[in-house]
Amino acid sequence: MKNLIYKAIAVLALSATFTACSNDDETISGTGNLAIEFDNSFKGDDLILDTQANTTVSNEVLKISSIKYIISNIVLTKEDGTTFTYPKSESYFIVNEADIATHVLNLKDLPAANYTKVTFGVGVDKEQWQAGATGQGDFLATAQAAGMMWSWSAGYKFVAFEGTFTSATVTTPVPFKVHTGQTGTDYNYTTVALDLKTKALVRSTITPQIHIITDLAKILNSTNVIKLSDNNPNGTGANIMGGANLPLITANVATMFSVDHVHND
Amino acid sequence: MKNTIIISLFTLLAVQLATAKTVKDSISGFTFQKMQFEAVMDFDCDACGCSASGGSMGFSSMLNANFVGVRYFNQSYSSRDGIFANSPWIDENFNTTQVWAKIPISDKIQITALIPYHFHDRALTSGTEKISGLGDVTIMATYSVYQTQKDSAVFAHNLQVGGGVKMPTGKFKESNNLGTVNQSFQLGTGSWDYLLLTEYVIKRKDLGLNTMLNYTLKTENDKKYQFGNQLNYGSTLFYLLDLNSVQLVPQLGLAGEIYETNKQYGEKVPDTSGDVLFSKFGVEVGKDKFSVGVNAMLPLSQNLSSGRIEANYRWSVNLNYTL
Repeated sequence: MKNLIYKAIAVLALSATFTACSNDDETISGTGNLAIEFDNSFKGDDLILDTQANTTVSNEVLKISSIKYIISNIVLTKEDGTTFTYPKSESYFIVNEADIATHVLNLKDLPAANYTKVTFGVGVDKEQWQAGATGQGDFLATAQAAGMMWSWSAGYKFVAFEGTFTSATVTTPVPFKVHTGQTGTDYNYTTVALDLKTKALVRSTITPQIHIITDLAKILNSTNVIKLSDNNPNGTGANIMGGANLPLITANVATMFSVDHVHND
Repeated sequence: MKNTIIISLFTLLAVQLATAKTVKDSISGFTFQKMQFEAVMDFDCDACGCSASGGSMGFSSMLNANFVGVRYFNQSYSSRDGIFANSPWIDENFNTTQVWAKIPISDKIQITALIPYHFHDRALTSGTEKISGLGDVTIMATYSVYQTQKDSAVFAHNLQVGGGVKMPTGKFKESNNLGTVNQSFQLGTGSWDYLLLTEYVIKRKDLGLNTMLNYTLKTENDKKYQFGNQLNYGSTLFYLLDLNSVQLVPQLGLAGEIYETNKQYGEKVPDTSGDVLFSKFGVEVGKDKFSVGVNAMLPLSQNLSSGRIEANYRWSVNLNYTL
């Protein structure tokens, strides 16, 4: 019996030996790439353009035909608390639901590190806009092509959210357009910081992907509740492109992003 | 190199155990030896949804203590293809044909080998994906710690412990895990995994109860992916009917599996832990040196991958030849 116990211990000891070999101390150096995916949704459902009926907290039913937003000024925080700012001239992107190629932002040549947080802006920051038309680089043309500019003087559209809706009072579908951007009184650029549940391990051999879910329901229903029905004065459609609602919607936009998971592949 | 050493050590251990002094009479015909295999047969593969494990399937051979045989088993799962509430559910089928053998080294020691061949498919929204090939080969040794010596005892007991190794002979492909919820659509874990098992059988006349508990320690594979450790447990009631030249063994039981979280580069992969409890039932029929078994398992409760994977059923059929 005693002999047997020794043998059992031997087996356990062996197991411990095998499992103890997996912790290699690696030195992290060089550069790598990182992908950030924006996945649009509505209250937990994957977004389907045009056909999907999305019911808001205010019991308005939205069929979304288009959603575009500008993501900018990406900053990544390493596990030691230091940050890496992605080169500003490369750090403007338009995410467009209708164009699948725009859903993933491919960032290149980041310092290899374990990243724990991502920070980005929604819209184009005032400093950049004030750099003038020539200071915009290629992005000006990109934004114009995507319909994300009103005019140079009026500036960029930061979020463009469009479709049709019905409600208790609006029984025939009418169009809605929610466009954020600067107004006479508010600039309406906002910054979002998201912690990563799993560290993004950027290496020359690993390109992590941060999978962000964008909950479009929050544009109208989050910190502030905005009803399209209240913005439909003539009964022909709701257009929210300025005024007091834009700062409220901007505050909502800041809450609509969350990290679902990080792949280290 | 490390792995060669491990195999050598296990072989050495097995030989040592085999040469250990054993004094005991063999007990009546179909008793314990027959039910001993339950725990042993549970290891093929792993993980939730599993690269097609038998998991807790636990196919005992009750009619032949030492045999070589072939078993086919099918596992049906539904998985969510995506991360949203309206993401589609897809069907996943894990099919395995396995050669298995149990060979006695001494009265108290048995060596078991499992050689699986997998052919899996799943109907992704982007098209059906299929993988097939050799799975992970498992070799293990079991040792009988306590066994009732007398035929006249009212209750006969048998307690076994064992250990083994699962080798990365099945291919692990990283790309199978990209963007999909079920991380176990694989032919193997790609890692050297180690098994510890214990099994207890109590029997009175023709009625017996087999209870087993086993644990798989999984290590990191060369793609830096590590499947979560796995606990299997189960209890099966069986009854031996001897009908002249044919033996019939109906069985009924419960089987459970608990999975820890998978890791990649040491980082936890979210929504990969889980647990599932099955009912299981089956029958084995023996005649002369052959036996045929049929088994099925239906889930009673489950929470796999935060509800993103559902086990539907498992079933198997096997043909064994007594050595």
